[in-house]
Amino acid sequence: MTTRKIIHVDMDAFYASVEQRDRPELRGRPVVVGGPPTSRSVVAAASYEARRYGVRSAMSSAEAKRRCPELVFVRPDFSRYVAVSGQLREIFRSVTELIEPLALDEAYLDVTHNKLAEPLAGKIARDLKLRIKKELHLTASAGVGPNKLVAKLASDHQKPDGLVIVPPDQVDAFLLPMPVEKLWGVGPATQKRLHDLGVHTVAELRLLPESTLLERLGNFGPFLRRLAFGDDPRSVEPHRVAKSHGAERTFEHDLRSVSEMDGVIDRLAERVAGEVAEGGRPGRTVTLKVRYADFTTLTRSRSLPSPTADATRISKVAQGLLRATEAPHRPVRLLGVSMSGLLGEEEALQLELPLDV
Amino acid sequence: MELTIRVAELVRALQRVQGIVEKKTTMPILANALIKAKGKDQITVSATDLEIGMTADYEAKIAKTGAMTVAAKTLYDIVRALPEDTVTLKQGTNQWVDIACGKIKYRVVGMAAESFPTLPAFEEVPSFGIEPKIFREMIDKTLYAVSTDETRYNLTGVFCEAVKERAGLRMVATDGHRLSVIERPTETPSMKEGVIIPRKGLVELKKLLEDGSEPGKLGFVENSAVFTKGGVTLTMRLVDGRFPDYQQVIPASSSRRVRVAKHALTDALKRTSLLSPDKAQGVRLDLSTNLLSLSANNPDLGEAREELEVEYAGDPLKIGFNFRYLLDVLAVLTEDTVELELTDELSPGVIRGAGSEGYRAVIMPMRI
Repeated sequence: MTTRKIIHVDMDAFYASVEQRDRPELRGRPVVVGGPPTSRSVVAAASYEARRYGVRSAMSSAEAKRRCPELVFVRPDFSRYVAVSGQLREIFRSVTELIEPLALDEAYLDVTHNKLAEPLAGKIARDLKLRIKKELHLTASAGVGPNKLVAKLASDHQKPDGLVIVPPDQVDAFLLPMPVEKLWGVGPATQKRLHDLGVHTVAELRLLPESTLLERLGNFGPFLRRLAFGDDPRSVEPHRVAKSHGAERTFEHDLRSVSEMDGVIDRLAERVAGEVAEGGRPGRTVTLKVRYADFTTLTRSRSLPSPTADATRISKVAQGLLRATEAPHRPVRLLGVSMSGLLGEEEALQLELPLDV
Repeated sequence: MELTIRVAELVRALQRVQGIVEKKTTMPILANALIKAKGKDQITVSATDLEIGMTADYEAKIAKTGAMTVAAKTLYDIVRALPEDTVTLKQGTNQWVDIACGKIKYRVVGMAAESFPTLPAFEEVPSFGIEPKIFREMIDKTLYAVSTDETRYNLTGVFCEAVKERAGLRMVATDGHRLSVIERPTETPSMKEGVIIPRKGLVELKKLLEDGSEPGKLGFVENSAVFTKGGVTLTMRLVDGRFPDYQQVIPASSSRRVRVAKHALTDALKRTSLLSPDKAQGVRLDLSTNLLSLSANNPDLGEAREELEVEYAGDPLKIGFNFRYLLDVLAVLTEDTVELELTDELSPGVIRGAGSEGYRAVIMPMRI
């Protein structure tokens, strides 16, 4: 197999940057895109000015306001972000059709063979960044590597406006000092289990025998080991159409109260709603996933009379479904919320009355 | 307790509570009707699902005073099938109830009257009179738009408020896609703020309005609405929530006005909708001078198209609607000609009876 050349492009603080670009009065100021701090919303994106105050995406708007009192809150306008994302996609398509969008502001490009017949992936990445700056007046960070894992880690390495090229012979040097939680699929729960084993970096992870990983992490263990060795078999899939959107969280300590679980569901629903809105296709079915402390896992679903992308409605349905489980009589280690039954591309969408419900 | 009652009287009493008793409930007693002696010549029959409750007095001969509860559906089915004029109900031991009618005997399971939930009783309810015919019209023209989505709890009832300018009541319902608003003259409503009456309560209220022509009175007290008519009292626990500001979504003026015969439009919609997509239920309306073209397209089945003569002088417009929403409105309009007021393909449309005031149905289009 020939060595692949993958570029990962990630727009810098995308929603916030689009707002700052289109509204000059916001430039140079700490801006977040998200609901007001009086609501239970979370930050969807934070400008770099805001990040200096420790404001991060997925943080509650109230917490963000505490960290940075002069923070400007802007309501998300997904239709505009979708439009900019389309322009971005056009720029990518001048290079290759092998594009796998991960979100509105992020995509993998397989440029092993490309329309420009350019052998140097680093040069392609540099040109893409220049065009994005010139045509969209936005900055992006790009990473180049022999697979998706390395390309994504590389784009994340020097944000914002970064360009990091990792040729195959430098993958080891690049990966070894990385904290394990940077690897694909390592969330807070896996991270904790690895830390418990005394493993903090990729170099330390490589020293663990496969049997230990299998025992501690199940089937994900051996796959994670391959990633640690810079071996990522995943190909760039241009036609991946999402059938559902979901978010889940494993807790460090099992949850035992309904109010805590409701709070988690609120935040998961916000994330799911964001993804659904990005996809532009609202869904009909809400599914709640519950894993009890003893690892028994169950899912409960309910379909709505009409498709929605509204976080509050998704959350209310999921919280209703939680009442139909044995929680909190049984402690809960994982909660997940997902939305399926997404509106078909050709399907007509019933518009909502602009009521403030 | 022991009583003898005319079969027709007991059928009437039990029929009234059939819509109220809970079929699927975690509290079995809510499936029962409470029958209570009142003096020597009357019984009071009540039922509740804890949200709404109904109670009324009926003529009966009381042989022994007391109270009992019996499964309302079972008792109704039994009494309805009896061939004689009168029936005797007698409470036995362990809450058994013996039913006797000539040679026919039943023994049915009852439950203790003491465990029946207490219905809210209000001494003095400030109330106002409503013409049954007018009230029925108001319910008909709003009930269909009420949301059935429990995640939108505050939309699961009809919002009622006093009309400020003159004595009258306004009722509003919406499910987030369509909205219906009607106002009619009544006695001055005895209410300060708007309230939301739950859907199920209005369904029962409508049945009461259709049952005899006596005038009815509506009042509000604490968190309940109370309707009385011909000796029957219906209490409805109000939906606890804020109804959205509906005025802002009713278009003030529309640039495009269409006049069309109601029956022609109804029939054309029913025919076209046969080929509309299953889930989305969309039909397309193409408007040009004096012409309305309806079309639907189901990728699995095929297409339908139909043209209709209308009165229209505005710019051409293509707009999509859920045909069900259009038909729901057309079904409750009494006028032969209807007016459609449209702005553009993404803004709400208004339907009303031509030349009539006080009722408007707003429907949000579909993006097709």
